[in-house]
Amino acid sequence: MRLGDPADQVRDRNESAWLLPNDGSRTNHKLRLDMQRFADTDELDLVIVGCGAGGSVLLQRLARAGWRVAALDAGPFWDPDTDWVSDEAGSHQLYWTDPRVIAGSDPVPMGSNNSGRGVGGSMVHYAGYTPRFHPSDFSTCSVDGVGADWPLSYPDLRPYYQAIEAELPVAGERWPWGDPHGYPHRPHPVGGNGEVFLRGADKIGITAKVGPVAIANGRFGNRPHCIYRGFCLQGCKVNAKASPLITHVPDALAHGAEVRADAMVTQVAVDERTGQAMGVHYVSGGREHFQRARMVAIAGYSIETPRLLLNSASSRFPDGLCNSFDQVGRYLMVQGAPQTAGRFDAEVRMYKAPPPEVSSEEFYETDPAKDYKRGFSIQTVSPLPITWAEHVAAQGHWGSALREYMSDYVHWSCLGALCEFLPLAENRVTLAEEKDRHGLPVARFAYSQCDNDRALAKAAQQVMEDILHAAGADEVITIQRYAHLVGGARMAADERHGVVDRYCRSFAVPNLYITDGSVLPTQGSANPALTIMAVAARAADHLIASAPGGPA
Amino acid sequence: MSGPAERFPGFDVLGQAPHWDQVTADLVTARSEPPAEVKFFNDAERACATALLDLLTGQDGDEAFAVPVLEMIDARLAAGETDGWRYEDMPEDGQAWRDTLSYLDADAAGRCGTTFAQAPEADQRALVQAVQDLKSGPWHGLPADHVWSLWTRYACTAFYAHPFAWAEIGFPGPAYPRGYKNAGVGKLEPFEVADERPSEDPVREGA
Repeated sequence: MRLGDPADQVRDRNESAWLLPNDGSRTNHKLRLDMQRFADTDELDLVIVGCGAGGSVLLQRLARAGWRVAALDAGPFWDPDTDWVSDEAGSHQLYWTDPRVIAGSDPVPMGSNNSGRGVGGSMVHYAGYTPRFHPSDFSTCSVDGVGADWPLSYPDLRPYYQAIEAELPVAGERWPWGDPHGYPHRPHPVGGNGEVFLRGADKIGITAKVGPVAIANGRFGNRPHCIYRGFCLQGCKVNAKASPLITHVPDALAHGAEVRADAMVTQVAVDERTGQAMGVHYVSGGREHFQRARMVAIAGYSIETPRLLLNSASSRFPDGLCNSFDQVGRYLMVQGAPQTAGRFDAEVRMYKAPPPEVSSEEFYETDPAKDYKRGFSIQTVSPLPITWAEHVAAQGHWGSALREYMSDYVHWSCLGALCEFLPLAENRVTLAEEKDRHGLPVARFAYSQCDNDRALAKAAQQVMEDILHAAGADEVITIQRYAHLVGGARMAADERHGVVDRYCRSFAVPNLYITDGSVLPTQGSANPALTIMAVAARAADHLIASAPGGPA
Repeated sequence: MSGPAERFPGFDVLGQAPHWDQVTADLVTARSEPPAEVKFFNDAERACATALLDLLTGQDGDEAFAVPVLEMIDARLAAGETDGWRYEDMPEDGQAWRDTLSYLDADAAGRCGTTFAQAPEADQRALVQAVQDLKSGPWHGLPADHVWSLWTRYACTAFYAHPFAWAEIGFPGPAYPRGYKNAGVGKLEPFEVADERPSEDPVREGA
């Protein structure tokens, strides 16, 4: 039996949703104005680099435990009212658009596809899907003969999944896949695209479910109900879709943490004699600073975290920090994300609902009858016009043919797959010759697919085409895409196979942690946000248990 | 515009602006104002880019309803507003635009003895189609598919950011703070207009 209102139980440990205004505006300006501001010369208990999914959760947990913590973020401290728009092209500033070089036989576009900027990180513009990983994800090497085994298992993360799902909160049907579980909020009603997916899947006997999305169904604290406007990927102006900006940062500030926006960390400083991290160099307002700290946690995500480690080379760590065994930047993963659309005479108008509506994880695990390992998930995606034009242009159309095709927009339904492309050592971040505006080498990301990857993308496309045809589509078209980033500084049993241990502590520098998506050894077919938060929450518990009230 | 036949008669996107939040409304309505002066492209590049972008977006230069794709791209390049990545085998975006426009002019000189902008439209089409047809093969030393990606990415992002283009495809644009109340197959909001030719699938299989 559950005692009391579940929302009250969340409020007792994370008050963020109740710290937001309830007057129709979206930002608690007083909380930000009154925020703790540490001096560079203060020795913090912990300085965190990056205030996205991983950094924000760590910040909130440690602030609650009484640690003196600050998170430095290279981008702005967003105000959804004034900074965000209900418009695709106008949302360009939400993406990390500093230069990056992409290479390999299957290069992966960055920017709007997978790279966030500012407080809240990529979760500001993610769709909002928050599935858990399956228990099978944690031992793909020993069980499936591909990928890697994690140095932890699903039950280690389960309590953190449950905690974060309550804090976001997540809405969805009872989930039958992986470790079956329910969600704190009921599933949202679906729009045209969700209807098509459910109808087509039902016809051919594929199970599809509504959710799981980190969009409150009903009021949550002072966060209002979703208005189903379809611009989830442009930053939620409603405060309905969860991002750390509204789910963890407010509570962190209320407990004495600092969020220092527009502060680009350029190097982690390590004492050459002791090998301990001493703080971080950063640039803010055109000036160089140094923030002292007893511990450092990097949470810059899979491109910037390896880049920062490599840019932090010193005489003690000549090949880059934590890179003595050539592990930094390696095993960087993206999911293959073929997107298949179907055309109906009826009007679907897929823009009229959150893009994340319905998913199926029926094809998630290895099927012994297939000639490939591991699997894929399928979700509604609902691209807005610019992204839809990319899908149509990928068919080769241009000029008046493109315009003609595009005029048919309201008749299309669109599904996307997430295929578990495998972690490969050669898929990695290194430093390019090119420098950014701070004079630092930019990241070069080389990516190439393997045969298993290609087989998965093909199989996923076939299933999506089958679903759409079953729903009555008279034409289907597909674009090959990628989604998400994880890996690049993975956790492992030892320093020869990874960068951090099972608690996200780096093997090379005992007071340096990495708490973001880059520590994930495999990616499953799940959107990574929830798992990144759960891993960071687990690392936070470990830190608090080992040094209550802050490190000695 | 030499666009598709009108499918959503009476559908007025900009007429909905009073229902949009002010920040978004200011941004979107500004796109239908006369565009800013060209800053990034020089005169020759501008002429070539205008011809190329008119072709890629199916515009025939009818000023009254034109989407100023050239000016929108110029503003992005002048501000250094890239997508946050470049292919290793391509120059950074601004230089890639300058280089590829000069290659188009070179191709036109070879084929017609004119600049690309001065070439007859049929020749322009053939020159552009030739780049697309090369797929990943080299075009003036650059992989043609990466050139094609650059051109179409910038062109589509600009064109489909414009409320004129939204009206053409039945998309009502910004939706905050109003949101939608009638989601679902075949359902319309009071301000949406149904497609007059729902069966005119441009690519129906077997048609």
